Amino acid sequence: MKDVMGIIYTGENDALLRELTIVRAIAALPVAGRFRVIDFLVSSMVNAGIRNIGIIMQKNYHSLMDHLGSGKEWDLHGKINGLHILPPFLTRENVGLYPGFLDALRSNNDYLSRSKQELIVLSNSSIIYNAHLDEMISFYQSTGADITLLYTKDPSLRRDEYGTYLSVDEVGNVLDLEVQPTHPTYENTFMQVLVMKREFLRDMVDKAVAHGLHSLDRDLLLRLVQEKQAKVNAYEYKGMCWNIDSVQSYFRFNLDVLDPIKRKGLFREDLPVYTKVRDEMPTYYGDHCKTINSMLADGCQIEGTVENSVLFRGVKISPNAYVKNCIIMQDGQVQEGAYLENCILDKQAVIKRNARLIGPEAYPIVIAKNVVI
Amino acid sequence: MLRKKTCIAMLLAGGQGSRLGILTKNVAKPAIPFGGKYRIIDFPLSNCTNSGIDTVGVLTQYQPLELNAYIGSGAPWDLDISNGGVFVLPPYQKATSLEWYKGTANAIYQNMAFIEQYNPDYVLILSGDHIYKMDYNAMLDFHIRNGADATIAVREVPWDEASRFGIMNTDSEGKVVEFEEKPKNPKSNKASMGVYIFTWEKLRHYLTEDEADKKSSNDFGKNIIPNMLKDKQILYAYDFVGYWKDVGTIESLWEANMDLLENPMPIDMHDKKWRIFARNPGMAPHYIAEGATVSDSLITEGCEVYGKVNHSILFAGVIIEEGADVEYSVIMPGSIIRRGAVVRRTIVAENAIVSAGAIVGEEKGNIAVVGQGINVPAGASVSAGQQVDENTEF
Repeated sequence: MKDVMGIIYTGENDALLRELTIVRAIAALPVAGRFRVIDFLVSSMVNAGIRNIGIIMQKNYHSLMDHLGSGKEWDLHGKINGLHILPPFLTRENVGLYPGFLDALRSNNDYLSRSKQELIVLSNSSIIYNAHLDEMISFYQSTGADITLLYTKDPSLRRDEYGTYLSVDEVGNVLDLEVQPTHPTYENTFMQVLVMKREFLRDMVDKAVAHGLHSLDRDLLLRLVQEKQAKVNAYEYKGMCWNIDSVQSYFRFNLDVLDPIKRKGLFREDLPVYTKVRDEMPTYYGDHCKTINSMLADGCQIEGTVENSVLFRGVKISPNAYVKNCIIMQDGQVQEGAYLENCILDKQAVIKRNARLIGPEAYPIVIAKNVVI
Repeated sequence: MLRKKTCIAMLLAGGQGSRLGILTKNVAKPAIPFGGKYRIIDFPLSNCTNSGIDTVGVLTQYQPLELNAYIGSGAPWDLDISNGGVFVLPPYQKATSLEWYKGTANAIYQNMAFIEQYNPDYVLILSGDHIYKMDYNAMLDFHIRNGADATIAVREVPWDEASRFGIMNTDSEGKVVEFEEKPKNPKSNKASMGVYIFTWEKLRHYLTEDEADKKSSNDFGKNIIPNMLKDKQILYAYDFVGYWKDVGTIESLWEANMDLLENPMPIDMHDKKWRIFARNPGMAPHYIAEGATVSDSLITEGCEVYGKVNHSILFAGVIIEEGADVEYSVIMPGSIIRRGAVVRRTIVAENAIVSAGAIVGEEKGNIAVVGQGINVPAGASVSAGQQVDENTEF
């Protein structure tokens, strides 16, 4: 599977993620105790043998750049191909904000034309999945399609007024798409992952942008299907996936990872998830702590009670502190006697002694980075 | 011609470590897992990195496969660099000779060509047997300041134990006046740590001379140091203060692991200014189930705990099933303790399985050991101090 390159687009709408994406792109969101969203996407590509991956950045991309570095942890730092970070194109003519995915691709035409691979896999960065992308690519090649889309029947990805839904026949041909319908009609959600020939993409993107079009789904895919200008089919992804598009869905995803079945579905031996490493001691559990159904990264010090929670690296839970249904990012501190329920603590947040923070389960409290309460 | 280095390190990692019993049957001692996510060699290697020594030769001989794979190109210790780095040095055939390393000094002698590439002024000799943090650069400064030919790192030991060690008798400045191996009546309690800095020119001379002596053991402590002393070379003893643990026996390896559960830890592993680096397996964070009890323990990535863990260390990917009960033990990477099994005062090596209901180790007594890849059968009993390998009959 070497003749394939990848591009990940990280400019999605993230308003519903509130404080969580004030300082970082969705792709850089810390998840599952030690990962960032983009780790799953890059790892899926790398596991399919893709070694040339471009990451199109839009806003707040500092954490993302810092996290990805040279691509070493994903084996993308070599002489042949590798990781390409593609920051927004600030030129005299524009301010770097892409009106749509097509514009982002058009601006990176140089990268696309310099790359040598025959095929390209595109992915956006708010849907977490762990896929055998090589199976989708094989399907694409064996059916002789122009474009193959990846979709899921998992109902948890459906959203009103958002997303793209497909009508697919029994052999996989895409008969229709609806883009951001008020209520989706079709049960197949497009996962914003697709494969096509690199030259075909360049050509299509060029024509579309030259005609003032911006959206990949609406302006390119929908048109091609409706006007029957290309053979577009779809491949079903049967694994676990999550759409990280709101605080609620972010919260839900992290707590889902506590379920052994879902966890095994996401972290698979045949599809390892690579991420940047931080050297830490193992987590220390004190004499009187209690830990129930929780996932903890290294470097934590647990002296209190942790229930149904996900703790990232270096988190300190003091004696008599109690956290329930919480997601606590790196280096957070919950001091003596504090009680938290349904909270998300961004990095380095400190909850002082005896503080009480209880959020409704459907609308967890988000404590922004570095905040002290 | 490579760029000259002021000081390079040579790390002796070739010994069998036979007092570690079945733990070193297939693995060299420096590659033995330690402290939940480290291996013994992480300590001298990280010390080098933190001390600014970027060129390290690791001399291997015994069962080096796991050690070599672990070291790789040296990236975890920032030693994957274009000028210098870490190099695994097994014995190799030369035009006129082919031999295994005969002794610590001979091992260095056989690698003189490697050292000469960097034309160093000083050479640091280390071993991969101890858990400690040390600034080798400070020791080098001491060596240079005193115009020494050799500097031997020493630590104070309890007087009643001094006769077990190589003891340095020094003057008030730290200059070595006498060296006594295991003296019956020790005149000093400064024990040699096997960490030396030599001025390379001098070492080269003494190594060559020693090699020609057919009666020599080719050992630093037994031959090189005494010979230099006899010739009135300038030898200094460098005082080391801090945690230092020899992990050469099953008991001491277990104790050193248990030391990490002390509060406060006798060796500060959280010191951001002196990090101990390791190669990370890159697994998902560990999971503690409802109904599991975890206390006074260290647990790292990839573990799944459904049972009871008290005063123990779990390495990466260890599974403790529901109903399993582990106390005062060290469970190395990938091992599984099945339901109803009871583990006490035991070291379980990598990828072993303690099957359901087995009773391994006892509340008191010597440390039991389950070897790498061994499956302790269901309901079996392993007594204190027993070592379980593929030859053990149940």
